[in-house]
Amino acid sequence: MKNIIPMVKYHPDARFLTDYAAGSLPASQALCVATHLHYCALCRQKNRELTELGAELFMQLQPAEVDHSEFERLVARIAVVPVNQPAKTRQAQVVSILPTAINKLANGNLEQLEWRRIGNNLRVANLNLGDQQRETSLLSIKAGGHVPHHRHKGDEITVILKGSFSDHEDKYSTGDFIVRTRGETHRPVASQDQDCLCLSTLDAPIVMSNWLLRIGLYLYNLAAAPQRRQA
Amino acid sequence: MRTGSIKTMDYESDEQHLATPTDEKVQQWITCLEQVAARQDIKAFAALFEHFSPMIKSFAYKVPALEQADSFADELLQETMLKVWTKAASFDPKLASPSTWIFTIARNMRIDLLRKQARHVVNNVPLYKDGDDDEIDLEDIWFEDENSDLFNHLAQQRSRKQIHDSLLTLPAEQTEVLAKVYLEDKSHAEVAAELKLPLGTVKSRVRLALNKLKLVVDR
Ligand SMILES: [Zn+2]
Repeated sequence: MKNIIPMVKYHPDARFLTDYAAGSLPASQALCVATHLHYCALCRQKNRELTELGAELFMQLQPAEVDHSEFERLVARIAVVPVNQPAKTRQAQVVSILPTAINKLANGNLEQLEWRRIGNNLRVANLNLGDQQRETSLLSIKAGGHVPHHRHKGDEITVILKGSFSDHEDKYSTGDFIVRTRGETHRPVASQDQDCLCLSTLDAPIVMSNWLLRIGLYLYNLAAAPQRRQA
Repeated sequence: MRTGSIKTMDYESDEQHLATPTDEKVQQWITCLEQVAARQDIKAFAALFEHFSPMIKSFAYKVPALEQADSFADELLQETMLKVWTKAASFDPKLASPSTWIFTIARNMRIDLLRKQARHVVNNVPLYKDGDDDEIDLEDIWFEDENSDLFNHLAQQRSRKQIHDSLLTLPAEQTEVLAKVYLEDKSHAEVAAELKLPLGTVKSRVRLALNKLKLVVDR
């Protein structure tokens, strides 16, 4: 296999890519795949092919009956709707560092998000994707800092946006799509040279191994809860 | 219109429909889209409507356990074709074939409508904050790939032909899983739950199918 972008090493598997192309992946996980695609030309090509497969299945559907009045209704609507202007110059070459979706969620400024601190090295900002079963957040790990030792109750997807980190298995860098399944424990450490920014989504809340931290989080959530309900 | 049990996909039996669209046919739809873009040509739009709207509606009916399936199908058709009309100028035949482009719009629109419906029904935390600045657009998550870096039109057409032909030779259990994932809006995990199969089995059926279609192969 040709190594098109050598730095991306961990890719979403066929399951994630197929569900993404089909549109059946929950939005939070789809955001992780989209983020990976932003950095990975190889998977963008696969996504294109998997979308072709979708189109093929779509075109082979048993055609449903369409009444002529439906076209008339549409014609009445298009008469009053403004038409998009053609995209003049494609900005394909101007690749932003962060994916569009992340930029928009952060209103173009990551610092504007509501960051909360967990320990000395970790800051977390929750993202609202309307997914009740998953918690999606941006994590910022200080250079050289480690994320508290934690065990997963559900599956976790992490995509690196900036910098790199390592755990007992490997070193991961920008664009890598890392899946940790339920029950695994790990203790990621950001590399020394720069802070590491990740997008992460998990199926069920993490269990911190450290009981003090757990109490801290509990208190934090208590304090934050009413605020969140208002939002 | 919908059948309760799905053995495989509802393939239409007549050969005409199953034939791969010829280059000529594809070219015709490209021209239609270009005419809609250039001079808001209603006749060209009508041709597109006639060809694609039965699939769009059928695609809507594939969603299981829909309440008011007819009005949902109607809405999906209207919204999808409205997008085809307003966005025709951004269609680029170098990036996608007309059917892939329209499928993508229908897919995104279906996700959007289903989410709005869920928001309506569940009626608790809003999925997206309406009218808010940091509202995330579905099209930022399921974005249109505008990088033509690796794009090879010929290869694309060959792969489409390959997909088309090999689809017919897949074992029923593989076709079934592909159809559920792509058409019935079910993730691998949901398909596994429905068929009472381990997730691994569903994954491997999809992987076998993709191998046969010469698509994504995991390292
Ligand atoms: Zn990749």
